Amino acid sequence: MGASQLALLVLLFPAAGAILLAGRGWRLPRIVTQIVGPGVVWASFVCVVALLWGHLNDRCAAPNDICYLSSNYDFTYWTWIQSGTFQVPFNLLVDNLAVFMCLVITGVGGLIVTYSVGYMAHEDGPSYARFFTYMDIFIFSMLLLVLAGNFIFLIVGWALVGLSSYLLIGFWYQRRSAVAAARKAFVMNVIGDAGMILAAFVLFFTYHQTTYVGIFAIATNWCPSAFCDKAFHSDSFPLELAAFLLLVGAVAKSAQIPLHTWLPDAMEGPTPVSALIHAATMVTAGVYLVGRMAPIYDIAVYAHGAVAIVGAVTALFAATIAIVQTDIKRVLAYSTMSQIGYMFLAVGIGAYSAGFFHLLAHAFFKALLFMAAGNVIHAMHDEQDMRKYGGLFRQLPRTGGAFLIGSLALVGVIPLVGFFSKEQILGAAFSKGDPLALGVWVIGAATALITGFYTGRMWWISFAGKPSPERPVEHPHEAPPVMLVPVLILAALSVVGGFIQTRALGIGPSVVSDFLASAVGPLRWEENAGAVVVGLITMILSTLLFFAAYRFYVERTWKTWSANAPWAQRLLERKYYFDEIYDAAVVRPMDAIANWGARDIEGPVLDGAVVGTGNAAVAAARSLSLTQSGYFRNYVLVFVGGAVVAAVLLLLRTA
Amino acid sequence: MTLGGSHLDASWFLILSAILFTLGAVGVLVRRNPLVILICIELMLNAVNLTLVTFSRQLGNLEGQLFTLMSITVAAAEAVVGLAILVDIFHTRDVEDVDELSEMKG
Repeated sequence: MGASQLALLVLLFPAAGAILLAGRGWRLPRIVTQIVGPGVVWASFVCVVALLWGHLNDRCAAPNDICYLSSNYDFTYWTWIQSGTFQVPFNLLVDNLAVFMCLVITGVGGLIVTYSVGYMAHEDGPSYARFFTYMDIFIFSMLLLVLAGNFIFLIVGWALVGLSSYLLIGFWYQRRSAVAAARKAFVMNVIGDAGMILAAFVLFFTYHQTTYVGIFAIATNWCPSAFCDKAFHSDSFPLELAAFLLLVGAVAKSAQIPLHTWLPDAMEGPTPVSALIHAATMVTAGVYLVGRMAPIYDIAVYAHGAVAIVGAVTALFAATIAIVQTDIKRVLAYSTMSQIGYMFLAVGIGAYSAGFFHLLAHAFFKALLFMAAGNVIHAMHDEQDMRKYGGLFRQLPRTGGAFLIGSLALVGVIPLVGFFSKEQILGAAFSKGDPLALGVWVIGAATALITGFYTGRMWWISFAGKPSPERPVEHPHEAPPVMLVPVLILAALSVVGGFIQTRALGIGPSVVSDFLASAVGPLRWEENAGAVVVGLITMILSTLLFFAAYRFYVERTWKTWSANAPWAQRLLERKYYFDEIYDAAVVRPMDAIANWGARDIEGPVLDGAVVGTGNAAVAAARSLSLTQSGYFRNYVLVFVGGAVVAAVLLLLRTA
Repeated sequence: MTLGGSHLDASWFLILSAILFTLGAVGVLVRRNPLVILICIELMLNAVNLTLVTFSRQLGNLEGQLFTLMSITVAAAEAVVGLAILVDIFHTRDVEDVDELSEMKG
C-alpha cells in the first residue's frame, strides 16, 4: 500500500467511526461505542505511524530546498471542481509537517478519546454515543485540515474543526452558559474563517491557483534558493495582504489577541474536549497554518513580524490573567493561550521547527494537565474552584504526581520536555540578532517567569496544604484505570520527550527540527552560547517562582502582591476588560442597530412594502372584477363594440 | 356579374350579407331567449358564408366556396355543442333569460 492510500485511510477511519456512531450508536450496546470511538482514532494512528516509517529517512536532495514542491508528496485523488480555469483537485499534501501534525492529533487524540470512555461514563446511552460521534468528527476535520493540499480543503477542514468545537463546547446543551460559550466560540472562529477565505481569494486572484504547490512555486520564484527572508518587494503586496488575512484566521483559531475571548469560556465543555481541542490540537492550527505558509511568510516580512508580535503579546497578557483565576480549567485555558503565544512567537521570527517542537511538547503536558484536572474535577464532583480543593496530593497521589510533572514541564524544568522546547524558542529569539527578535525575547522571558508563578499557585493551592473546609468531598477516590493510564503515559512522555531534541542546551540530537527541515526549512541561524546561559538562568528563576508561590498561597508567610495593588488584581480578574470592551464596542451598537432596524425599518418600510404590494394587488383585482358582470350579453356587447372600433380604425387607415 | 342570364352586381349580395349579419348581431345583443341567441349566431355565420361565396364567384376562385363548406361544418358542430349545453341547463332549471346565467360574475 502506497503513501497515498495510507493518507486516505488516515482520514477515512475517523469519518467511518463518526458515521457509524451517528447513525447507529445510540441503538447499539455501550461497549460498541467504547470500542469504535477510540478505536478508529488508534487505527488512524497506526496508519500515521506507517506513513512516518516511510518518511523517516526521507531527506531533501538539496538541503536548502522546499522538498514538497517536487510534488513527491502531493497526491491528487480526483478533480473536485472544474469550471473554466478554476480547478480544485482533491489532493492531500503528505509531507513531513503533515505527518508530524497527524502524529500529534491521532496519538494524543487517541489517548484523550480513550480517557473519555471513563470520563463520560455518567452520560446516558444516546449522549454517550453523541459525544464520541463529535470527537471522531473533530479528529477527521483536524486531519483534513493538516492533510489538505489546497486552500479549498484547508478552509473546509478549518470550518469543520470550528463546527466540532462548537458542538463539543455546547455538548451539555441543557446549560445556558455552555450554549452561550459555544456560540461565542463559533462567532469568533467565523471571523477567522472570513479572513482565511479572503486570503484564498487574494491568492487565487493573483496566481490563479488553489493548490499549495502551485501557489508556492510561483510565489517563491523571487527566492530561488527558498527560505530567504526577503525584504519587501513591490510585487509582494498580494502576498503581504494574503499573509495578514491568514493571520486573522490563525489568530481566531488559536485564541490569540484580539480574538481570544472565546477560549476561556470554551471551558464549559467536557474536560476531555478541553484537553483535545482547546489545548493539544485545534488551537494549534494557527501555528500549523503559519508553518505551512512558510514560503509566503518568508516573503511577507511585515505579516511575519506581526505573527511574532501577536504571539509575544498574547503570551505575556494571558500569563498575567492566569495569576488571578480561581477556576482550575480557566487557569489552564489562559496558560494554553500563553503557550500558543510562544509558538506564534517562534514561527513569527522564523524558528519554525522550534515552534513545532513546542507544539508537540505542549500537546503532551497540557493534555496531561487537562486530563489530570479532569480526574480532580471528577473526584470533587464537578467542583472546579481550586480554592475549595487543598491537600489533594495525599489522597490522589497518582493524579497529583502526574499533575506535578505536567506543571513542572509547563514551567520548563530540566529535564522535562517543556524546558527543551521553550528554551529553544527563547534561545532562537535571543540569538537571531534583529531588534524584533530581541524584543519578543524580552517578553517571552518575562512570560516564562510569570508561568512559573501561576503554575506554582495552581499546584500548591490544589494539592498542598490542608483540605479546604468548603471541599465537596472529604475522601475523594482516585480515577479508574481508563482515566489514569492515558495520564500516566503522557506524564512519561513529558519526562522523556525532551531528549529527542536537546538543542536548547546546545548539544545532543534535534530529531524534530531535522524531520521538519524538509517542510519548513532547516534552522536558519545558530544559537550562541549566551542563549544557553540565559535560558538556564530563566529556567532557574521560573522554578524559584514556582516554589515561591507556596509561600504566597499556602503558608501565606509572604503577603500576596495583590494586597498592595488592588487595582491590578481587579484589572486581571476582569481580564483587561476585553469582554466589556467588545460588549460596548460591538455587541451593544449591533443590538442598537438591530433594534432600530426592527422598530423603524422592519415595520414601516419592509413590512409596509410587502403588505402594500399585496394590498395594491387586491385593490386592482377588485376594481377589475367589476367588468366580470356575468351577463353574457354584456360580454358580447363589449366584443362587438371592440370589433366595430377595430373595423372603423382599419377603414380610417385605408381611407 | 352574370347570374342566370341577368346581371346582378356583387354589391347587392354584400349588402344582403351585411343586413343579415347586423340582424344576427343585434339579435344576440337584445334577445334573451338562449335558443333565439343560438339562431342569431347561425344567422351571422351564414351572412359570412354568403360573403365568402360572393367573393369566390366574383374572383373566379373556388377557395372561398371550399371555405364556406368548412364553415358550415364548423357551424353544425358549434350548434351541437351549444344545444347540448342548453339541454344540460334545461335539465336542471327552466331558463327563459340568459341573464339568469350569471353565476360567474366577479
